[in-house]
Amino acid sequence: MNSAISVRHLTKDFKIGLRGLKLRAVDDLSLEIPRGQVYGLLGPNGCGKSTTLKIILGLVSGTTGEINILGFPSATAEARRRTGFLPEAPYFHKFLSGRELVRYCAQLSGVPAVKMDDAVDSALELAAMTEASSRRIGTYSKGMLQRIGLAQAIVHDPELVILDEPTAGVDPVGAAAIGRMIRAMRDQGKTVVLCSHLLGQVEQVCDRVAIMDHGRLVLEGRVDEVLAQRDRHLMTIEGLTPEARLAAESTLAAHGARVTSVTHPRRSLEELFRELVTGSRDA
Amino acid sequence: MKPLLLRCGWIARMTFLEAVRQRFFAFLIVLGAAMVLSSVAFRFLDFGHGELKFIADFGFGGMFLFGSILAVVMTAQLFFAEMDNRTALTLLAKPLSRAEFLIGKFFGVWMILGLFVIILSALLGLVLWARAQELSLLAEQSGRVAPDFSISGLSIFALLQWLRLSVVAAIVLAIAAAARTFLFAVILGALTVVAGQLQWIAQDVLLKPTESVVYKSILWLTSRILPNLQQFNIGDALVLDSGTVAMSSIGWVILSGLLYASAYLLLGALVFRRREI
Repeated sequence: MNSAISVRHLTKDFKIGLRGLKLRAVDDLSLEIPRGQVYGLLGPNGCGKSTTLKIILGLVSGTTGEINILGFPSATAEARRRTGFLPEAPYFHKFLSGRELVRYCAQLSGVPAVKMDDAVDSALELAAMTEASSRRIGTYSKGMLQRIGLAQAIVHDPELVILDEPTAGVDPVGAAAIGRMIRAMRDQGKTVVLCSHLLGQVEQVCDRVAIMDHGRLVLEGRVDEVLAQRDRHLMTIEGLTPEARLAAESTLAAHGARVTSVTHPRRSLEELFRELVTGSRDA
Repeated sequence: MKPLLLRCGWIARMTFLEAVRQRFFAFLIVLGAAMVLSSVAFRFLDFGHGELKFIADFGFGGMFLFGSILAVVMTAQLFFAEMDNRTALTLLAKPLSRAEFLIGKFFGVWMILGLFVIILSALLGLVLWARAQELSLLAEQSGRVAPDFSISGLSIFALLQWLRLSVVAAIVLAIAAAARTFLFAVILGALTVVAGQLQWIAQDVLLKPTESVVYKSILWLTSRILPNLQQFNIGDALVLDSGTVAMSSIGWVILSGLLYASAYLLLGALVFRRREI
C-alpha cells in the first residue's frame, strides 16, 4: 500500500438554482498520490482542485467515486487523524495566542495530554513561530498566519499534510520559508499535497504534479519528466568569444544539430528579490 | 466516550470565550440590567398589584426579551462565524465529528446564556431584596403584613429561564445547520420563539370539539413539534407566591425542556451531517 491518497473515478456535481441544474466540478478524476513525496495539484481557478481537496478531507461528499487516505476511507476519523490541513487564507480566533491555537488544535486532534507540550513546541519550531507564539493572532502578519496555520496542521504529527494555497498573499521571503518547511516535512517522511498558483514554487518543492482543467486531470507525472524537453539541450558556457561560438555552431551543424538560441543565463526575479531582501520582517 | 466529551468540551470552551468577548453580549447585559434597575423608578405604575410584583415582572420581561434576542442572534452568529470565516474547515478536517462540533457549539451558547441569566437574576434578586426591606419597615410602622419574595423561587425561575433559552438555542442551531444565511436563521429562529410563546393557543383549540380531522391533525402536530415556551414563565408563582407550584409540575417542565433541546440538537446534527462546507 504505497499510496497516501487514492482517488478512483471521482465525480462531483453541484446542483444550482431551484431547477437543480448540474454543474460538474470534478469529472471522473483518478489519482494515486505516493507516500513520502511532495505532490502539487495545479490548475486555474474553478478547475475543481479545491473541491477535490474538500472531498478528500470529507468536508464535501463526492457524487460518485471512491477515495482512500493511507488505506482508510476518506471521511472516517481514522483518515483524518492521520491528516493535517491548512485551508486557503486561513482565519483563526484573533483573541487566541499562536500557542493557544496550536494547543487547541492538538486537543481536537487527540494528542495525549502527556505529549501535548512537546507536540506544540515541535510544531511551532518547525513553523518558525516559537518566538511569536505568545502573541495574539490578531497581531500576526499574513506570512505568520500561514505559518501558524501550518503549525496547527502538523501538531498531531500527521502522515499526510494537505496545504491549500499556503503561500497566497505571502511575500517571496515568507514563501521561501514555507517552501523550506514543506521540504523539511518531506524529509521527515510525510506526504505533502500542495495546491498552489505559484508555479515557480511548485516546480521547486514538488516531486510530482497533477494539472486539472474543467474538473478533469490533464497531466500527471514527475516534475522533471513533465517539464523536460527531450529534443532540446541547454549548455551554460563561460568565456564564449564570437570566434568560439562560430566554431561551435559549424561543428554542431556538421553533426546535423542547429543552435536555435544563445542567451545569457538569468536569475529569476524571485531569486534576486530573496537575495536582496534577506531578513524576514515576520521573524 | 471520554474523548468525545473532551472534544465537545474544547469546542464549547472556545465558543464561550468567543461569545463572552462580543460587544453584543455586553450590550444585552447592560440593557437587561438597565431594565431591572429602572423598575424601581417606575414602580408607581404598579396598577395596585404590589410593588414587588411590578419589579419582578419588569425583571422577568427583561430576561425574556433580551435573553430571547441573545439566544437567537448569538447562536446563529456563532454558528455562521465558523462557516463564513471558514474556521469550520480547519476544525472539521480534524478527527472531530459534525455532531461533536454542533454539540460543542450548543454548550458554548448554553454557558453564555447561563451567565446572562445568572447576572440578571442576581441583580433582580438584589433589587427585590432591597425594596422588600424598605417595604417591611413601612409595613411594621403601619401594622400591615410585610410583602415578601422567595429567593429559592427566584433560583428555580432562573434555572427554568436558562432551560427555556437553551431550548431556543437548540432550535436556532437546528435551523442554522440547514440555513444558508445568518439572516434567514435569525428570522426563522425569532418566528419560532414567537410561535413557541403562542403554542398554548394551539393546545387550547385542540381541546375544543371540531369536525375537521385535518385541522385537528395540523394543530396536534404543531403543538408537538413546537415547544410550549409559555410553560417556563411561572415566575410570579415561584417568586411571589412561594409554594403554589408543585415540584412535580416544575419537574415536568424541566423534563419537557430537556427533551425538546435534545430532539432539536439531534435534528441539527442529522441535518449538519449532510451539509457541504
